[in-house]
Amino acid sequence: MISQILHTPDGVRDIYGDELVLKNEIINKVYDTFHLNGFKDIETPTFEFFDVFSKDIGTIPSKELYKFFDKEGNTLVLRPDFTPSVARALAKYFKEEKGPLKFCYKGNTFINTSEYQGKLKETTQIGVEMVNENSIYADAQMICLVIDTLLAAGLEEFVVSIGDTEFFKGLCSEANITEEIELNLREYISSKNFYMMKEYLASNDINSDIIDQFGYFSKTYLEIEDLKNLKNLVKNKNAVKALDRLLLLKDILSKKGYDKYIAFDLSMLSKYHYYTGIIFKAYTYGVGDAIIKGGRYDNLLEKFGKSASAIGFVVLADELLTSIMRTGHRNVELKKKVLITFKEDYLKADAKALELRKSGIIADVIKEPSMNKDEFESYVEKGGYSEVITI
Amino acid sequence: MDDNKYIVFALAKGRLAGQAMELLEKTGITCDEMKDKDTRKLVFVNEELKLKFFLAKATDVPTYVELGAADIGIVGLDTILEENRRVYEVLDLKMGKCRMCVCGPESAGELLKHRERIRVATKYPVIAKDYFFNTKHQTVDIIKLNGSVELGPIVGLSDCIVDIVETGSTLRENGLKVLEEIRDLSARVIVNQVSMRMQNKRITEIIDKMKAEIDQ
Repeated sequence: MISQILHTPDGVRDIYGDELVLKNEIINKVYDTFHLNGFKDIETPTFEFFDVFSKDIGTIPSKELYKFFDKEGNTLVLRPDFTPSVARALAKYFKEEKGPLKFCYKGNTFINTSEYQGKLKETTQIGVEMVNENSIYADAQMICLVIDTLLAAGLEEFVVSIGDTEFFKGLCSEANITEEIELNLREYISSKNFYMMKEYLASNDINSDIIDQFGYFSKTYLEIEDLKNLKNLVKNKNAVKALDRLLLLKDILSKKGYDKYIAFDLSMLSKYHYYTGIIFKAYTYGVGDAIIKGGRYDNLLEKFGKSASAIGFVVLADELLTSIMRTGHRNVELKKKVLITFKEDYLKADAKALELRKSGIIADVIKEPSMNKDEFESYVEKGGYSEVITI
Repeated sequence: MDDNKYIVFALAKGRLAGQAMELLEKTGITCDEMKDKDTRKLVFVNEELKLKFFLAKATDVPTYVELGAADIGIVGLDTILEENRRVYEVLDLKMGKCRMCVCGPESAGELLKHRERIRVATKYPVIAKDYFFNTKHQTVDIIKLNGSVELGPIVGLSDCIVDIVETGSTLRENGLKVLEEIRDLSARVIVNQVSMRMQNKRITEIIDKMKAEIDQ
């Protein structure tokens, strides 16, 4: 029995000590950056009605949600993703608001992924959403915020890959592709399986001009020339608009000196179907997945009764933490930490501690422990104390 | 982005690893350490080109690549489909060609024509389930075996099997035959999603060279 009490279920974990200190530091730095950019806090419930995360909304598949029932028999879901929750809340409280709304949040999300994949089921997300802003400048602002956030968190080497979902949708509608073919194509393109994609398009009698255009999905780093060439090839209006957006974005970010951090990749198609325009992910060394994911979702709020454009992203705090721990980019000043031990005179030790704390030093007061010298030395070392004061 | 980082290859142990290394050698990527048959090393390094290689059980290769322990993996499509990991599948090596098939005694052919429940033994439960559910719309009991799957119908454990068929000689010797073909298989190159972005230039170069060699 006892051994079972000690364990946590697969996919969740305890986090404590230095690791948690680092995690909180990262979260605070990210959050400070959001606040400095004018985002205000919002907190939504940990669980909501199933409909907020249903297939119609376009978040993760239903089978990966943690579901349970309330006393009235409603299906409730532990949030797998903040965006639908925040969209719901903003549609509810700012239905008539026409000016831009900027909100940020942090909290844990829950996804019931399959076992033994080395992935956590409970993860911390820190994110922003900006509503009622559909200009290219909002897109540029968001990408800049992604870059500023990562720089603030202490990362130097990272890539923000940018794509546009409208380009893929535009090409599909130009080619008159059925929904089933579109779904399969989505799969091939997002797994960069281009030889299969080409075979598949050819076997479905898609004409070769369109196949050539699909060929551009294969590049992970599209140059300006590629985007311009593509613009001459593509006929679909929405696809052209998507390319125009990317070119404009490139121009703005280059002028800001941020082009070294970005890469254009049209093959990025999120599994979240609510995205409607630009979509982006940030990658760095040390982790096998993206550390930031986001994009534009202009139709989502409408499903909650407010027709408004929106764009947002989340920082996957656990992935970012792993990357910083593995690549050693930690650059935080640690506060000085002192241990004060006393035998009888607690009040004297307390007074000493107060004095130290006033000057910003961490002062830890304990009754002299019954340890031998070696045990005590190791205790001091593990605790990270720079000095021991015996009263 | 960073030329000082190693590019790590995970190769599926066995014949495929040898064939893949031969192909890589033609593109100028060599690893002399690996040629030593008696070595007990697990990881082989080419310091000059900043490359590392290791051999892993085929089913583990997609896992190493998904989690970023390896940047590039070389493994059969059967394993990729069965493991269903989030990796980029970037190149068909056109080697190790074979087929995934439903096999059994002649008499089992009749059972596949209806949607009655049958028992299927396989090393590939994901692929088998996907085929029977989504393509054939037939209810099946899947029995996972770890080897000598052909035994299933012979000893009466299952009605048929889903397995890889290369020449078909093992089947014939045991009185079994291919009843239906599920799909063609071959070896593939897979790439980690982050590596594809962070080390794009070097990885693309390696893949383009391999592709040129295959297309010849």
